[in-house]
Amino acid sequence: MSAEYAYDEEGHLWPFFVFVLTFIVTVPLTYLLINRSRDPSASLKRVQTTFKHDHVPLVDSLRKKEKRKDRKLWLMAFVIAGWAVMGQMVYLIKTTEAPTAKLWNPYDILGISESATEKVIKSTYKKMSLKFHPDKVKIDPTKNETLEDLNNRYVEISKAYQALTDEEVRNNYIQFGNPDGKQGYSINIALPKIIVSDGNGKYVVLIYSVLFGVLLPYLVGSWWYGTLRRSKEGVLMESSNRLFRAYKDNIDEGGVVAALSTGKEYEELFKGDKADSDLAKIESRILAEGETSPFAAGLSVKDKAKLEDLESGPQRKALALLWAYLGRIELDDPALEKAKFEVAPIAHALNKSFNAIALAYMNTAPLLASYYTSQLLIQALPPKASPLLQLPYVTPAVVKAVEGDSRVHTTVQGFMDKPDAKRRSLAVGAGLLTDAQYREAVNVAKQLPYFRVTKAFFKVTGERFIIPSSLVTLVVKGRFVPPGSEKVPEVNELDLEDIDPAEDDLDAILGRNTKKQVGKDENGKPIMVAADSEPILPPLAAAPYLARDHSPRWHVFLTDSKQGRVAVPPFTFVQFDQPIFEEDGKTPTFAMQTLKAQFQAPPQAGHYTFVMHVVCDSYVGFDTKMEVTLIVEEASKAAAMADEEEISEAEEDSIAGIMHAAKGGAPPASKPVKRKDKEDSDEEESGTDEEEDDTSETNTDTEDES
Amino acid sequence: MFDIDWRGLIVPFSYVLVLGGTFMTFSTIYRKRKAVESANLEPWFGTHLQRNVYLSLLHLEPENESEKAPKVPDSIIRAALLRRAVEDINRIIQIRTAKAACSSLLQRGSVGDDLWQRFQRAEKEMEEELRDVVMEANALAPNWGQTIFQSANEIAANTALRERLDEIQAQTDTEKEWWEKRRASIKDEFLKELEDADKTQTKTGSEDEPVLVDTDTPSATPSGASKKKKPKK
Repeated sequence: MSAEYAYDEEGHLWPFFVFVLTFIVTVPLTYLLINRSRDPSASLKRVQTTFKHDHVPLVDSLRKKEKRKDRKLWLMAFVIAGWAVMGQMVYLIKTTEAPTAKLWNPYDILGISESATEKVIKSTYKKMSLKFHPDKVKIDPTKNETLEDLNNRYVEISKAYQALTDEEVRNNYIQFGNPDGKQGYSINIALPKIIVSDGNGKYVVLIYSVLFGVLLPYLVGSWWYGTLRRSKEGVLMESSNRLFRAYKDNIDEGGVVAALSTGKEYEELFKGDKADSDLAKIESRILAEGETSPFAAGLSVKDKAKLEDLESGPQRKALALLWAYLGRIELDDPALEKAKFEVAPIAHALNKSFNAIALAYMNTAPLLASYYTSQLLIQALPPKASPLLQLPYVTPAVVKAVEGDSRVHTTVQGFMDKPDAKRRSLAVGAGLLTDAQYREAVNVAKQLPYFRVTKAFFKVTGERFIIPSSLVTLVVKGRFVPPGSEKVPEVNELDLEDIDPAEDDLDAILGRNTKKQVGKDENGKPIMVAADSEPILPPLAAAPYLARDHSPRWHVFLTDSKQGRVAVPPFTFVQFDQPIFEEDGKTPTFAMQTLKAQFQAPPQAGHYTFVMHVVCDSYVGFDTKMEVTLIVEEASKAAAMADEEEISEAEEDSIAGIMHAAKGGAPPASKPVKRKDKEDSDEEESGTDEEEDDTSETNTDTEDES
Repeated sequence: MFDIDWRGLIVPFSYVLVLGGTFMTFSTIYRKRKAVESANLEPWFGTHLQRNVYLSLLHLEPENESEKAPKVPDSIIRAALLRRAVEDINRIIQIRTAKAACSSLLQRGSVGDDLWQRFQRAEKEMEEELRDVVMEANALAPNWGQTIFQSANEIAANTALRERLDEIQAQTDTEKEWWEKRRASIKDEFLKELEDADKTQTKTGSEDEPVLVDTDTPSATPSGASKKKKPKK
């Protein structure tokens, strides 16, 4: 009964061990590598256009460079090494012969079949003992046998015989697989013998100490200092600190652009000599007199003062280049052009950090300025520029022709709502757009995902009223109606309702699969059909100047217009539950989208009027701003109403019904129901007033068009 | 008694010594670096110009030693102190509004630890500064310390309002210009329309008689337009 621990001497176990170890490490890394090298934006739809500005190759090369940066060479090397090791181990496993621990089988030793009778066993044993008795057999020198071998063989034969005939020995054999009783067992450690053999000890200790004394602290340290160096938004901590200092309560888009130029990232981009070179040239270009604005780059006098107050250095150069980018200024120098397109994505990343800072202050104006700056950076437009410049080929001259002297800019949707002939007469002409360019501009405009809100209301899941401090859901219903869409179908009333999932429908409550309501049966109960729950991503933002692929996001938040503060922080929507465009990527589906945001209701009952903002971060002029009223009922009142409701609904055979009858109550009264209806309609009206007008307007517009 | 194997004990003792020594050096170097870092932190606010003005007025040195220091009128010193208090009010407002945002951003990891350190230092400095101003005010005039910040607050609010007004006022010229241009263009349009209408009227009147009934209706628009135009003149 001895347990023996042995290192793997024959080398048939440790390959398994190493194989499993490398497998555990390599497979997740391989997944990571494949996932990372697969371009996430490739699967997304794009806005289809033939428009190419002069710098498309440059922008494309910058986009590719960024993607290449994501690929990690060491990861690739590591994965390849891992698979190589695994292959080697599989080879070793295949070639190394594992020692076969033979089962002790008395029949084999005697050379008889297992069905042999006792008689046969006895006779065979006798024959064999005669033949193999050590006294009888002569040592055969050719077979290299010794006396001991012969003895052993004879012992084996007699043991086998006993195992088959003697009761006790047979029991031993059945229980332990051996006629002698329990045997000692050995445990092999799946490590090669080499590492414990003499002389190798110091190397093993060395590897061990390097692994745990150097590599582990290094990895932990680099991870920790890496997290310290960058903020949560992925920008350098120092940049984030500077942005915090640059924040002002009354900051506007120009101010945000100036704040973004403080980023430390720019110091790394414009190192040493690069910081001042050609600064004068850029500034003279951006400050030249513009066609529609005082300066060519579209910056205001205040912004100019800010730029000129800066000491020349990386920040001033970054700011000048940012304005050049926003104003789409030609710099006539390949290096400067490259720098111009490089500063914008950095500013966009920094803006995320600024956005977080603005949100921490909870003031509306800076938060909106930050979102608007994001739009401007993506579309390469200066603040207060016409949204029409987002369309291809549109120049300030075209904008001037379309807008006339009006101070209010025409939005893309406003322009596209005009009849085609009128649009054409305004925009096409000498010095303006050619016919083909006009058609391309209209083509792009008809693909832009403009989210038109149809209805917004508040509710508490499973409740009729909103009571203080309950978890309220803001439900925003709307459709993607690209500007200038013709034959927009009427809103289906059923789509506007938000039905709570049944209490027993766990899947729906947990959001595992969504169901779509297709109609109502005669009892007014909704008929649900399981909808495919695959999230739908909008097409990538049509941003020909931004050297990144950007997937548009929509932010929904509530503000208090009187105090100018954010009441409910933004909820961001990147994906939607219904398809936005048909398979061809151009025809809009006009499917009703549902956006939901949950927040805590105020602790006091009352009517709260908020301004709801729906802001798209990628397109200028696609934002929605509307008033919504949250009605919070006194908890006691709501409970009383709910009680009445419950009793009135109670069926006669239910306990509540019987109790009600016993109290002498009349059959369900209709009064509470009515009251509830009134409340509901109040609430809905307040939310939809503005929007109803909006839809009706556009409907008439489209009719005009046809 | 015991036979101590001193030589054998060298190894464990040296182990402990090396270990302790490493920790000690590491911690002292780390602390020194931290101290240097925090000492070199950029101050939150820039130079306090108003305070410097006040202090230099208070401790005016004579140009050469023989002369007596020039006497600064009390009113000027008081005005300087009030200016200093106004600047302090601006700074304290900034700190108060930034405090909640800064701490929540720090918790989320959106801003760095050194920013928070700088912020706290600025806060402490401001406390000292406020106390100092109150003491100075009491020294200049009895019980002025209780009211100086009230007046400073009003001055600060008024300045902010004035700045905002000036900003709006600055736009008047461009707005006026734009409106003149816009009015002229609208006038031109209406005049043109009027002329066109006259032309068509004469044309249709001379060439096509049966359409005469229709010409009355379009003529209504130009006349309406000309009516509209009049009050603008």
